[in-house]
Amino acid sequence: MKRLNYAPWLFLAPFLLLFSLFTVWPLIHSMFLSMQQTYGPGRTEWVGLHNFKFLLTDPLFWKATSNTVKFAAGSLFIQLPVALGLALLLNRPGLRGRAYFRLIFFAPSLVGMPFVAMLFAPIFARHTGLLNKTLNYFVSSWPIDFAWTQNYVMSALIIAALWMSAGFNMVYFLAALQNVSRDLIEAAEIDGAGAWHKFWHITLPEIMPIAGFVTLLSVIASFQLFELSYIMLNDSAGPDNRGLTIVMYLYQTGFEAGDLGYASSIGWVLAIMLISIALIQRRILKRHEDR
Amino acid sequence: MIKALRENIDRFLSPGALVILTIAIVTSFIVASLPARVVDGIPFWLAATAHRKAYVSMVAEWNEQKPDKKIGMTQLHSRALERRMLSGFLSGTPVADIIEANLGVVAKVFLGPINEIGFVDLTDRIHNEGIYEQINTPSFAPYTSRGRIFGLPHDVHPVLLAYRSDIVEAAGIDVSTIETWDDYFRVMRPLFRDRDGDGQPDHYLMTADDTRGDVAIMLILQAGGSIFDDNDKPNFASERNAHVLAELTTWIAGPNATCTDVPANTAAGHRQRLEGFVIGTLVPDWMAGSWKIENPGLSGKLKFMPVPAWEKGGRRTSVAGGTMIGIPKASKNFETSWEFVKYLYLNPALAKHMFENTSIISPVKTTWTESFYDEPDPFFSGQPIGRMYIEQAPDVPHRPSSPYTSAGGQKIASSLIALAQYARTNEIYDVEALEIEALQILQEEQATLERLISRNRFITEGG
Amino acid sequence: MQNRKAAANAIIYPLLVVFAIITLIPFAHMLAGALKTKFDYAATLFLPAGDGFLGIGWDRITLDNFVRLFELDIGRAMLNSLFLSSVHAILTVLFCSMGGYALAKLRFKGREFVTTLVLTALIIPGPLLLAPGFQLLYQLGLLNTYTGLLLPGLTPAFGVFLFRQAMLNGVPNELIEAARIDGAGEARIFFELVLPLVRPMMGAFLMISFMGTWNNFINPQIVLQSPDLQPLSVALNNLKGLYGTDYALIMAGTIVSISPVMCIFLLLQREFIAGLTGGAVKG
Repeated sequence: MKRLNYAPWLFLAPFLLLFSLFTVWPLIHSMFLSMQQTYGPGRTEWVGLHNFKFLLTDPLFWKATSNTVKFAAGSLFIQLPVALGLALLLNRPGLRGRAYFRLIFFAPSLVGMPFVAMLFAPIFARHTGLLNKTLNYFVSSWPIDFAWTQNYVMSALIIAALWMSAGFNMVYFLAALQNVSRDLIEAAEIDGAGAWHKFWHITLPEIMPIAGFVTLLSVIASFQLFELSYIMLNDSAGPDNRGLTIVMYLYQTGFEAGDLGYASSIGWVLAIMLISIALIQRRILKRHEDR
Repeated sequence: MIKALRENIDRFLSPGALVILTIAIVTSFIVASLPARVVDGIPFWLAATAHRKAYVSMVAEWNEQKPDKKIGMTQLHSRALERRMLSGFLSGTPVADIIEANLGVVAKVFLGPINEIGFVDLTDRIHNEGIYEQINTPSFAPYTSRGRIFGLPHDVHPVLLAYRSDIVEAAGIDVSTIETWDDYFRVMRPLFRDRDGDGQPDHYLMTADDTRGDVAIMLILQAGGSIFDDNDKPNFASERNAHVLAELTTWIAGPNATCTDVPANTAAGHRQRLEGFVIGTLVPDWMAGSWKIENPGLSGKLKFMPVPAWEKGGRRTSVAGGTMIGIPKASKNFETSWEFVKYLYLNPALAKHMFENTSIISPVKTTWTESFYDEPDPFFSGQPIGRMYIEQAPDVPHRPSSPYTSAGGQKIASSLIALAQYARTNEIYDVEALEIEALQILQEEQATLERLISRNRFITEGG
Repeated sequence: MQNRKAAANAIIYPLLVVFAIITLIPFAHMLAGALKTKFDYAATLFLPAGDGFLGIGWDRITLDNFVRLFELDIGRAMLNSLFLSSVHAILTVLFCSMGGYALAKLRFKGREFVTTLVLTALIIPGPLLLAPGFQLLYQLGLLNTYTGLLLPGLTPAFGVFLFRQAMLNGVPNELIEAARIDGAGEARIFFELVLPLVRPMMGAFLMISFMGTWNNFINPQIVLQSPDLQPLSVALNNLKGLYGTDYALIMAGTIVSISPVMCIFLLLQREFIAGLTGGAVKG
């Protein structure tokens, strides 16, 4: 039944208008912007591909990239297993107080990145910080003046991010675990399967789609790390740029030095990185599914 | 009726959602009805707390005498001031009529084309009104870009070495023989011991470590090295600088290391300083002032000596930091602002006020003969620190600025970190060997900076 | 079998308790820090030492930091955060539910195209739009205004996607058809019939939006320059270093900043989690 169907367009109007103006237009414009050099938003000069050429050999950019990759790897290989572990613990049938535990573990993710950064800055202090003092108490050889935010910035950020996000990812894993059919598990138990076997061959494959989703989300978020580092290092990249991340470099060049063109080119390189990661991840998952 | 309304709302909104809706409505009303905050008078931004305290009475006096030209002074966090100033210059957001900022922040204003620099070019006025002769010439350098001056300097900031005289004298050490750095470390060495058995030396001999690039820069400038030449080009890959970095590395790493860092602005740092964790520190005049406020427990325990020289007869001071005051081009009250700026900075009454509140000596040379600079300072065991700083003022190293000043500083800091790492990894602590590596590191860093500078179209053409 | 289960539980419970304590320690540290004076801050890890009960200096606990916060105009920043977050949340829920509804339930030419548009938009990383978006705001004269901060984010593709998912399964077509046959107008169907059916998703997305705006730092940092307009995330960061990194003050500020979100979360817990995971699990 074809009638003059304007209702859907009215419903979509806000989305379409704002999307065109504030997403599509800037997206197209950024392609041109990345080929310019600017001094503030009002003063631009055309430079062609010079930004990208410079980017390829820009040591600061590569430092930012290596830092970001280190952080993403830390998140991937530490945070996700911890989240999964917590979910497995909480998934125990008949566990009392599950709701309370879940709330406690989830609470840090409500704090918000800028506030987590402010909260953790004194924890990482040398000599007087909570972390150094605690580690020193349990392991007497731990140097009490361990310089987290000067020398081991990415490690400190991984720890802070672990605290903040483990609970968040745990919730996803928990939902996935609770969707695993009890019949499958019981069948395995009847067959005499041990806990590890149950986990590896039944649970893990069942939650693979969610795990894949959570992983992708986590890696993409890690690659866009900015606030945690910037605020914890006092609005800077830290000594020797040890805390410099890709988005922080984008922010510094675009909004502290005023070159929005270069910032745009960094943005494009970041986008390409993220799309590649998403594609690779999809490949890996597909191959796993086919097995 | 209410019940029906409640049920109706509950169809759409859970209690939490209702809370959010209520907040939205209430805050919208409040925000819409709040009047925009109007600063009383011509807006004047600054960042340094100590300065604000010193200026309060002077601004009050001005406002009393000239009620039609009131000045509204506001203190901002230095990063916030930098952001708002740059945003104002580059993006046209509101900016004050008078801005006082330190040299690191100001340098960023010089990144663009010369005629688009956000501050008014004051060069001609400074010369025509005879101000140039009144002020210590090197003080203008950090605020000069491509030959034009964009602000009045606030200070000279010579550096002296402050040491824990209570600890030193109790140990029977005589500091009068110290002329060079070698002398200093040799004379102070007996204090570098672990007497209380806690596994750590009781006293480190000076404040310095890998992350204190600012100390490296002070030492480089003292030794006659430089970071930029008079044409704003980086020239820090020099043998002199390499020598300083190599020596500094042996102070902070290896078997002869006797230096460590005490964090400057935290309660923990103050406590450590109080306990005498470090004996000596390079102290510019402003730092002396801030110690008085932030660590009053140190009073009577410190004394100054001129900075030990690199060679016998060498320079015994350095320079660190600097503040200027400028007028944005966007200002609608230039003449009044200029009048106020001169009043604040060139007024002899301010020099006294400033010194008494912050221990900072004025750049106005004619005030250097004033007697208040000779007052014995109880905090520093009765020494006349004003006079001691003024004595070093003519020797303060010249610092040509560049829009890339902070990048240059970062390169020096990175070089120090790299050199220290090299020394530790390879266990090389011989100064001559380290010099070779240092020069190489500096050359690499300089090349990177040169590339970065060459990328900037706005400076290299017509700039 | 029973024994094995009991043995496993004997390990699991203590383990969970240990992890729970570890998770809560930073909160405790923050709270204790906020109650200490600047000078006491570094001396002890939690509450100040003293002669009182349990070796704690109860008399040195102070609410001064909170008082100073409000003298430093945190109240205005709090108002700004509340305003921006709540208005953003309400408007995004409205616009995204409308868009999601059209894509889920209405048949029209171009539906496939717009759906693809939404899905593609999900891939666009935020940082890519920072620089050009900023330049656009400058050209529109919207820098340093609430409008400039709110407008670009009022209809996130993510929201449209979530509502589309929720409505695809949660709103039976027959219901809509029946209402149409009864002569109801499209708007009426949407507001009175469809929305109540997706109440959980509305609650969830309100929370997601609210939290997202509340904790956003980079956007207000770039767009808003006047302190009068700045929300807590930016304002609190500006307090740092103004008085020599007074951690006690910052801790108090952090507590004040996270409390509203925590409170609202307690009300919207279930919907929030269901909304987040629902989109993923059903996929």
